[in-house]
Amino acid sequence: LLQKKSDVYSVEICGTKDLEKTDIGDEEEKYKDLKGNKKKKKAEDLKKEVELDDHKLSASELEEKYGTSINKGLSSARAAEILARDGPNALTPPKSTPEIVKFLKQMVGGFSILLWIGAVFSWISFGIQLAQGAESPFDNLYLGVVLALVVILTGIFAYYQEAKSTNIMASFSKMIPQQALVIRDAEKKELPADQLVVGDIVEIKGGDRIPADIRLIFTQGCKVDNSSLTGESEPQSRSCDFTHENPLETRNIAFYSTTCVEGTATGIVINTGDRTVIGRIASLTSGVGNEKTPIAIEIEHFVYLVAGVAISIGVLFFIISVSMRYKILDSIIFLIGIIVANVPEGLLATVTVALSLTAKRMAKKNCLVKNLEAVETLGSTSIICSDKTGTLTQNRMTVAHLWFDNQIYSADTSEDQTTQPFDQSSPSWTALSKIVTLCNRAEFRPGQENLPIMKRVVVGDASETALLKFAEVILGDVMSIRARNRKVAEIPFNSTNKFQLSIHETDDPNDKRFLLVMKGAPERILERCSTIMINGKEEPLDSEKAEAFQTAYMELGGLGERVLGFCHLYLPEDEFPDTYPFDTDSMNFPTSNLCFVGLLSMIDPPRSTVPDAVSKCRSAGIKVIMVTGDHPITAKAIAKSVGIISATSETVEDIAKRLNIPVEQVNRREATAAVVNGMELKDMSLQQLDEILCNHSEIVFARTSPQQKLIIVEGCQRQGAVVAVTGDGVNDSPALKKADIGIAMGIAGSDAAKNAADMVLLDDNFASIVTGVEEGRLIFDNLKKTIAYTLTKNIAELCPFLIYIIASIPMPIGTITILFIDLGTDIIPSVALAYEKAESDIMNRRPRNKRKDRLVNEQLAVYSYLQIGIMQSVGAFITYFTVYAEQGFLPSTLLGVRVDWENNAINDFEDSYGQEWTKHQRMYLQWTGYTAFFVSITIQQVADLIIRKTRRNSIFQQGLFRNKVIWVGIFSQIGIALILTYGLGHVTALNFMPLRFQYWFVAVPFAILIWVYDEIRKLLIRRYPGSWWDKNMYY
Amino acid sequence: MKLLNEGSPAKLVKAVFVFLFSGLILLFYLVFYGFLAALFTFTMWVMLQTLSSDIPKYRDRISSPGLMISPKPDTALEFYFNKSDAQSYAEYVSTLRKFLESYDDSKQSQNINCTPGRIFDQNDVAVKKACRFNLSELGQCSGKEDKTFGYSKGTPCVLVKMNRIIGLKPEGEPRIHCTSKEEGMVEINYFPPEGLIDLMYFPYYGKSLHAHYLQPLVAVQLAINSNSTKEEIAIECKILGSPNLKNEDDRDKFLGRIAFKVQMTE
Repeated sequence: LLQKKSDVYSVEICGTKDLEKTDIGDEEEKYKDLKGNKKKKKAEDLKKEVELDDHKLSASELEEKYGTSINKGLSSARAAEILARDGPNALTPPKSTPEIVKFLKQMVGGFSILLWIGAVFSWISFGIQLAQGAESPFDNLYLGVVLALVVILTGIFAYYQEAKSTNIMASFSKMIPQQALVIRDAEKKELPADQLVVGDIVEIKGGDRIPADIRLIFTQGCKVDNSSLTGESEPQSRSCDFTHENPLETRNIAFYSTTCVEGTATGIVINTGDRTVIGRIASLTSGVGNEKTPIAIEIEHFVYLVAGVAISIGVLFFIISVSMRYKILDSIIFLIGIIVANVPEGLLATVTVALSLTAKRMAKKNCLVKNLEAVETLGSTSIICSDKTGTLTQNRMTVAHLWFDNQIYSADTSEDQTTQPFDQSSPSWTALSKIVTLCNRAEFRPGQENLPIMKRVVVGDASETALLKFAEVILGDVMSIRARNRKVAEIPFNSTNKFQLSIHETDDPNDKRFLLVMKGAPERILERCSTIMINGKEEPLDSEKAEAFQTAYMELGGLGERVLGFCHLYLPEDEFPDTYPFDTDSMNFPTSNLCFVGLLSMIDPPRSTVPDAVSKCRSAGIKVIMVTGDHPITAKAIAKSVGIISATSETVEDIAKRLNIPVEQVNRREATAAVVNGMELKDMSLQQLDEILCNHSEIVFARTSPQQKLIIVEGCQRQGAVVAVTGDGVNDSPALKKADIGIAMGIAGSDAAKNAADMVLLDDNFASIVTGVEEGRLIFDNLKKTIAYTLTKNIAELCPFLIYIIASIPMPIGTITILFIDLGTDIIPSVALAYEKAESDIMNRRPRNKRKDRLVNEQLAVYSYLQIGIMQSVGAFITYFTVYAEQGFLPSTLLGVRVDWENNAINDFEDSYGQEWTKHQRMYLQWTGYTAFFVSITIQQVADLIIRKTRRNSIFQQGLFRNKVIWVGIFSQIGIALILTYGLGHVTALNFMPLRFQYWFVAVPFAILIWVYDEIRKLLIRRYPGSWWDKNMYY
Repeated sequence: MKLLNEGSPAKLVKAVFVFLFSGLILLFYLVFYGFLAALFTFTMWVMLQTLSSDIPKYRDRISSPGLMISPKPDTALEFYFNKSDAQSYAEYVSTLRKFLESYDDSKQSQNINCTPGRIFDQNDVAVKKACRFNLSELGQCSGKEDKTFGYSKGTPCVLVKMNRIIGLKPEGEPRIHCTSKEEGMVEINYFPPEGLIDLMYFPYYGKSLHAHYLQPLVAVQLAINSNSTKEEIAIECKILGSPNLKNEDDRDKFLGRIAFKVQMTE
């Protein structure tokens, strides 16, 4: 931890050093540095809260500030002036890299450089040989062309994959409204929205998109849908009043790109284009650097490793061959061979295919992956910053608790409830249910009788909807109950009364009394009551009962639930006869001394799959952090109910409460959980945030703003964590982009969020992330297997060159032949390993450590290169020597013959039996040797493929036939080898020769040996975990 | 493998160093590679046991013989010499002399005289006899009369031989025939006459069974026209008259034929 912190400091120190340097540096450097600082500052600025004060100003002050008139608007001339100054009201698209640059980048990335070098060397040696008039210089020309083709084709493949991912800004530009109604020169005009300037007076009506950031000066029933900006799904009313310090919360500002749902409004444009709130978020998103994905880092590491091996062996043997007095030209040709043998040409394409296979599999499980590499990122994730609403919760209010007869009852909050299990026998419940049913304006949209109650669409606000559905579930047809209890008068809920009231006839034909029902804020309701119903009987509301009410109210409130109180009164028949004219304005009926019946509390309940998913994350070593804009109490309650804060852990405040000491005295380390308020976060230093993230294992951030989400993500990343972030609003997009993997919600998510994200959850369900994690971990393991498989044969391809140089034997395998292994026989089997099932419960281990658990570690490289690879080489050499010996060249005669063997002028080369060979006859034999070597590698790669199915378990535990694709791989491998050997055996350029059938079996004993050896290795690893063997042999 | 390790990048080098210092891994690789080496040796031994020491298992790669000449200049089959400068052809002469040493009568004491014109089949005989090839058959190119093999007279000799292939039995009447692209520049004489290769020298039974075997030779004497000196003369020799000896292969320029150049100065 200390180390990490010092890292942070050192960065700062370096920063000041840079500044000091600038002072003494020359002009150019100064300029450069200033520019750099400016950029940095801009990013910091953006992270701060939006600063605006226009919502505090009065209309006349605004007129003055923007030099406009509310009635006449700007003059066209003035508007043109401002337009020239500020630019059009549109978001600047980000600078995109030209396609050709992207393409060229693919051409030089990865192993491409090495292969280009190989190709260029090939052409150089072709040129030299051609000039010297050698007999067959075209081999090198072909080789160069083939190498170039390999690079170009893999480059095109990679480019195509990259081009699939979409542009973030595209969706932002889609949000721009087309036309706006503007007052200019005292006339109303339709203008293209991008012509708007600051100070314009704009009129909006229901259905319009807000054309710019607007300070409202006149409204009529105006409501806006801010969901694309803040993620809040409920339409918010807009007025001209300054209601909140925070410009994002105040009612008198409407934001660019949000929608006006109903009503009309007029306002002054206060910000346009990139200076609007959404514009700033957009620029923040494109300003946030895209982090390299963990798998990209791993692949880079792997490429460096292999390229390092290739170059160092190549150079080493170049030096050796030069000092062994080989011609420089020959040495160059050796170098090409060594590079080609060392580079797994097909591997990067294989990795891409494996990732896209996993992506497809994940898409079936509702995780749509946009960026292929993100497939694995989810597997390495160590922290998930999750939204609450919609992701962890069902995103709808549901009745969770009831309080009547001095007792709290729990209600079922699951997604598909059909009954309610609590005790409904009390007459108090009958009374309460009547109020719930009647005192409610929400209605089902007609024509949904066949749908489950929970899925029906309701007209009404969230609480009323919850109550309506609750009543419908318990009582059945609510609408007919309402019809039987005709409503005679009603006062809808308003913010001053804080209650809702209605008066009904009763459905009891013998009871001619009217029933007055009321619901509202519990304390307001209680004020109006003098009695309370206990077990169906009205009892006076004494202080003891009021105390009981308070306790219940506090308890339910403490659960983060929205509590409503319910009361009723049967109006005496004599005072209120049938014909009594109820007047809601004068309230000619009693609204006090009512009878209190009970409380109902509602919450947006967690999805039923979430607690399980959270506990899975926990056992998988993933920390789940909740980041929400909600109230801390609600947030904490949900966190507790889904297990983000486990039952036993306490926050500092909890401990303080339990020990009855001030919060300051609590040892912060004792608290495992923390609930951090956005307000506190605002004043925190980065160090304090780091401390919180480090010290608490269970964290909830409440009342956070979008910018803070970004800060939290960065904080987590400073801990070295791989961070996944979920989000749905536009405001989430910077954090989604910044995260190692951004997860947008498919249903609730805005386009911008989906664009910024690497992954989209089609069902908005947190549990789907867990599936994703599992797939991600599996693909990491399987890629290890794929790479181990691919690297192994590189040694069998390399050894021939080394021994050829050292022992001067005829060339055992040709460069083109190697390419046929790398890009032919080996491709399908290495993809097949991606289909391998997990060896053990991958969800029970910790996420991999980014720094320690490499994709390609020493053990993997050493085991593949120095053990299995060498065994393969031995097997292949046996075949090679067999072919030569059976044709007349015993092994002893082969040593040191290279120069004569390759001499075109020697056409009576004597073999071990006294026969004489022409050069061409020798070449045919050499190509037969190539083919034999190739076939042997292929046969042993079959064994290699089988052993790579598992890293620890026995193949028999894993099941030899469970992964059918492996068998497709094996058959394709052998099939391709057969076609090459017998089908294309007469194409000279390919250097394949039809081979005697028995040579296919020479390497079989070695293939079996490889299998047996690997089984022994795995057995010892399982038997002696942690032993020397385990440490050195487990990759 | 040591070389491979040295050539690995920093990470692997480090790993290898760690390995070297922990003796156990060193021991492991010692045992591991020791085992592999033993296995390799054993497998090779088994493979060699299946082979006959007399005759290779397969001879399908050399179904038809190639032609070769002696002397063979270092630079791709091109003869350059000055007939009046003994030094310029000394190497050719000494090569020829050395080549013909094994054909010396004293070396052929064990060889028998075979019946000319017939395949000398010895399949049933345990000890294969070699047929005598009299140097005198090479006439002026035998080196007996003219120690310079004609080089000093402007009539250089080149010996053409057919590659040894075990079991090869030529059909018909094989002979070497040479042509020059440039007509009239050179007159070609053959020893034995018409460049005939006698069938009695076939088949060959391999180095171990047929120890004293001498392959038949055809000497080609090029009488270069005195007005054609200083010009490069291209000669192509082919084996003719035998249907089972190929001489027209597209790819193998030495299968049953050979081309060389001669340039003589005075």
